Amino acid sequence: MPVLSNIIEAPLRLLGEYRVDCVIVGGVAAAIHGSLLLTNDLDVCYSRDPANLDRIAAALQSAHARLRHTPEGIPFILDAETLKRGLNFTFTTDIGDLDLLGEVRGVGNYKDVLSNSITVELFGHHFAVIDIARLISAKRAAGRPRDLIAIPELEAIQQAQALAKEKS
Amino acid sequence: MHADIEDYFLNPPPGSAAMRAAEFGIDLTLTLEHLRLTPEERIRKLVSFIEEIAKLQESVRIIGPTNARVEQHH
Repeated sequence: MPVLSNIIEAPLRLLGEYRVDCVIVGGVAAAIHGSLLLTNDLDVCYSRDPANLDRIAAALQSAHARLRHTPEGIPFILDAETLKRGLNFTFTTDIGDLDLLGEVRGVGNYKDVLSNSITVELFGHHFAVIDIARLISAKRAAGRPRDLIAIPELEAIQQAQALAKEKS
Repeated sequence: MHADIEDYFLNPPPGSAAMRAAEFGIDLTLTLEHLRLTPEERIRKLVSFIEEIAKLQESVRIIGPTNARVEQHH
């Protein structure tokens, strides 16, 4: 079982160390923007460039990643080819859960998510984080109650960010 | 943090997104406190909170309905 205090930091460090091209989305992105929404896994939208798929596969293998919500014994080969054949994956690893999204509903693929993203420094690495407008679109498109309840606070933060930009 | 941003959260203008969030039930003083942190500090705070909740869930022992206990004592 992963050390609880590292469930977000450790997967982020792993992605940083393997230089994975990805954008932080989901609840962690909301927290980075300032939301108090709780989450306990890391969602990233990843580049499907072949070299990046190799890096992702290597990173996941090092953390003994396996698919979540899949019965034990189902054969799964974790390599770039498997990642290429699929799109969205939910993994559990020795260091925490990690969801890899080839597309984010309501926003699009890696390039769409990357555009207008912000860069932040976290745990010694630079990461792209989905911008708040696209994050709100994604939450709205996901449409689950847990996503929808995040929207009012995110919209308030978005308006505050616009106000700050206006004043600077 | 800019004073205008603090004011935006503490005294949300009518019709603003902050006002809608407050009406929705969001405690914007907590959001404001969170915004004063760096992104890394925000993640650390989130994880620390999750950790505390997990500790709480591990240590909690449900005794039973409170009414039943009261009846038992009397």
